[in-house]
Amino acid sequence: MKPIVLPWIAAASALFTLAILKAESRPRYGGTLRVEMSGTLNNLDPAELPSDPAALEAKVRLLQAVFETLVRLDESGKPQPWLATSWAHDVAHKRWVFTARPRVRLHNGMLWTPNASTLEAPDDRPIEQILRDLARPWNAIVVREPDGTLTGTGPFRVARWDSGKAAMLVANEAHWKGRPYVDSVDIQMGRELRDQTQDLQLGRTDVTDAPVATTDESRADETLALIFDTPRSSPAVREAVSLSLDKVVIRRVLLKGHGGISGALLPQWLSGYSFLFDGKRDIVRARQLAAGSAPLTFAYDRQDAVLRSIGERISVNAMEAGITMRPGNGAVDVRLVMIPVTSRDELSALSDIAAVLKAPFSFAVGPYEAERSLLEGFRAIPLFHLARSWNLTPRVHSWPDLANVWIGQP
Amino acid sequence: MTFRTKLLLLSSITVAGAVALVTGAVSIAARQAFERADGQRRSDLLAQLRRELDARGMEVARQVERAAASAGAQRIAAGSAEFDQAKQESAAQDLAFLDFVQPDLTILSSAHWPARFGYKNDWGIAPEDWQPAGAAFFARVPVPDGPSAVALVAVRSTPDKKALVAGGRLIDPEFLKSLGDAPGMRALLWLPPGEVVDAQGGSPDITKLAGLVNEARGKGVESTGTVQWASARSSSEAFLAYPLEHRGQIAGVLLAGTSLAAQFALENEILWIGVVAAVSGIVIGVLLGWWTTERVTRPVTQLARGARAVASGDWSARVEVISKDEIGELATAFNRMTEQLAEQRDRAIQAERVAAWRELARRLAHELKNPLFPLQITIENLRKARKRSESEFEEVFQESTGTLLAEVGNLKTIIGRFSDFAKMPPPNFEAVELNEVVQNVMRLYHAQLKDDGKSKIETELSLAEAGLRIQADGEQLRRAIGNLVLNAIDAMPQGGILRIASSREDGHVRLWVSDTGMGLTEEECARLFTPYYTTKQHGTGLGLAIVQSVVSDHGGKISVVSTPGNGATFMIELPISPGESA
Repeated sequence: MKPIVLPWIAAASALFTLAILKAESRPRYGGTLRVEMSGTLNNLDPAELPSDPAALEAKVRLLQAVFETLVRLDESGKPQPWLATSWAHDVAHKRWVFTARPRVRLHNGMLWTPNASTLEAPDDRPIEQILRDLARPWNAIVVREPDGTLTGTGPFRVARWDSGKAAMLVANEAHWKGRPYVDSVDIQMGRELRDQTQDLQLGRTDVTDAPVATTDESRADETLALIFDTPRSSPAVREAVSLSLDKVVIRRVLLKGHGGISGALLPQWLSGYSFLFDGKRDIVRARQLAAGSAPLTFAYDRQDAVLRSIGERISVNAMEAGITMRPGNGAVDVRLVMIPVTSRDELSALSDIAAVLKAPFSFAVGPYEAERSLLEGFRAIPLFHLARSWNLTPRVHSWPDLANVWIGQP
Repeated sequence: MTFRTKLLLLSSITVAGAVALVTGAVSIAARQAFERADGQRRSDLLAQLRRELDARGMEVARQVERAAASAGAQRIAAGSAEFDQAKQESAAQDLAFLDFVQPDLTILSSAHWPARFGYKNDWGIAPEDWQPAGAAFFARVPVPDGPSAVALVAVRSTPDKKALVAGGRLIDPEFLKSLGDAPGMRALLWLPPGEVVDAQGGSPDITKLAGLVNEARGKGVESTGTVQWASARSSSEAFLAYPLEHRGQIAGVLLAGTSLAAQFALENEILWIGVVAAVSGIVIGVLLGWWTTERVTRPVTQLARGARAVASGDWSARVEVISKDEIGELATAFNRMTEQLAEQRDRAIQAERVAAWRELARRLAHELKNPLFPLQITIENLRKARKRSESEFEEVFQESTGTLLAEVGNLKTIIGRFSDFAKMPPPNFEAVELNEVVQNVMRLYHAQLKDDGKSKIETELSLAEAGLRIQADGEQLRRAIGNLVLNAIDAMPQGGILRIASSREDGHVRLWVSDTGMGLTEEECARLFTPYYTTKQHGTGLGLAIVQSVVSDHGGKISVVSTPGNGATFMIELPISPGESA
């Protein structure tokens, strides 16, 4: 072969390989995305806010796939037009008028035409606060059909709902932003972490929950915290538990350096003030506070190896302070839970956390005061801020954005 | 109780006692043998337990040594391993507990409690036990889900000496199961403060074992005892309590139990066999005793029957001579005796007849001699009177003939008495009132009792008020009672008191005739009713013989009680009806 031919062959091969690689990274339409999760949802009604953290996290994610809000917060937390294309206020700033996006169709095929393409909302709050509130999934646009079913405008519609067990979402072909890439999303709820891992290894699912802190996400969107559910423990004992915790060692050894130590519910990147909540260890003080305390029952996800190790370490730390925390199930005194940060807005996120804590919440105060109020009495002890993580098969792309997720070649 | 019954009872008691003694001895011997076997079994069990524990200890030491030499241990000692690396090493070595610690006992990695990294090891291991080459020992290991667990622990060090490794095997139901897999044997574990687990994970009643456990804990050495779990004896279990002790610390007490159900079942079986054998032996013994007794007592019974026959007057009674032994000799002697007695009786009857004839002859001679002598004198006087004058002869003749006639009359009277006695007729029974007969007799002899020529005899009648009507011959009774009254009168020539009493008792009537005369001797009393025997100078000896004859013919009996100087009392007992006589 002549030497002049070889460069051409090499160039052709390079171009072919590049073409193949480009084709692999280009979104593809079609396919069913199989998702397994540990959380369980009884319904997808935006009006019902679940108190279980896992359910809360799942519901927020699914609500955004099926229902849409007037506005959405961008990555920086600023409101962006969504179903509402613009908004304006009257002179007294008492009344706001939102302009509805045209040609938006509901899942039942009907055009979404609220009040001649405008929405009026009497509210004298600052517009920023109103927009952040409207961006919450709980304020999504929902049409309640006479038979009780809910109809939305999101990229997916609910094709099948098996309460607490499974759901099937199918692509909304008429979505105003264009249909999503995948044809459908098959969701299995309430799956044990062990079963999820097994199904993933056997190729029975595409997406599963992952143990905490196994990814290096830079932005934490979950808070690992202890929640005291029953009134059997006094504030002093709860404070003793908080002071007994050796978070530095837990982060270094058990979380392998992942996550951020904090005494705040919201991560530093979101609130900017989390460093103000002290979470340092004081075992001497903890022993003083815990004197004569009764044993507490303690629940944590024993299938998650990291959570189990953290739970056991917390028990050991508490034992050092003189507090017995025995593993239990059902109605326990203390739970170790991952609380999702559901919004880029501090107050909205804190509001959802208040629902988890079953604590009252007011939007009338600032985020710092609201968080201080939630942490009063140590009913919740924040430990670490961690990134939500999943296990995916290689063919899943653009997860967790359901509207843009697509399935590549197997 | 008959001789046969006594003999049978004696033989039965003897057999039963012997059988019971043998049965008891066998039972006791069996129990002692079982106890010896049980003791030996416990000793073997203890030895086996020690061997097993030593073997397990050596095994644990080897496992810990392998864990300490593993690559994972190197990484742990170097600080480059995961915090729960010890779990992998413990799983590889099949150890329930495995702690990698720094020389200051800070935990680097803990298998059973990974979360305790950074804390001090708190297994209660003494400083001298943190020696890399020491033997295994028992320790209490704190666990996450409870107070603590008992473990067989050994300590080793990593090859670079940077870390110590303490590993142990849990003393749990699985461990117990491996110890107590012999049939009928099981192992329990007592744990402080008061929990007992068995090889199946159950929790037996601690209260039943408390004493045994406390003894083993208190002394620190093995102790044995028996526990009865339920009311049935077969629920009993023999236990060996083995304290898991190390340096004075009791980590727990291992209880090795062997069921006594089989032993008790065997004992019961032996006992029942003994009981059945004893009952059978007793039954057979009683039957044999009955047969033997029958054989032995039959000649004796025949002898007794013969003796009774002889006693009842059957002098011809003889017994069969069955054997030639002592009983046979006795039967022969009996037969010889009866023959001799019969001969003697015949001779006595003959002699008595001769004596009676002699007595009769003497009495007749005596009775006849008295009238004959006056007759002889009178006749001689008549012969002499013929030589006298006519007138004198006439006078003598008249006087002599009168005398002759009187004496001939006496002779007739005497002969008549004898004739009457000989011709005593059988009684003519009719209803008779005995009290009336007595009163008639007393009226008959009233004049005689009040005879002025003699000393006065007073009478005292004490007759039954209700009347004593009996079936009897009234005339014969009158004569008999009259004879007794005459005898009493004759016995009191100086006067006295004649007492007559009557009464009714159990189908009989009784009549007592008493005097206050001189009384009779014992010999006189014995011969009083013999015919022709009399204590009177002029008596015929037939009066009381007639009385006895009458009483006997009426089916009654007569007796006399007397002592010399105190009078005599005759008692007649008659049946109300002759057919009711005994």
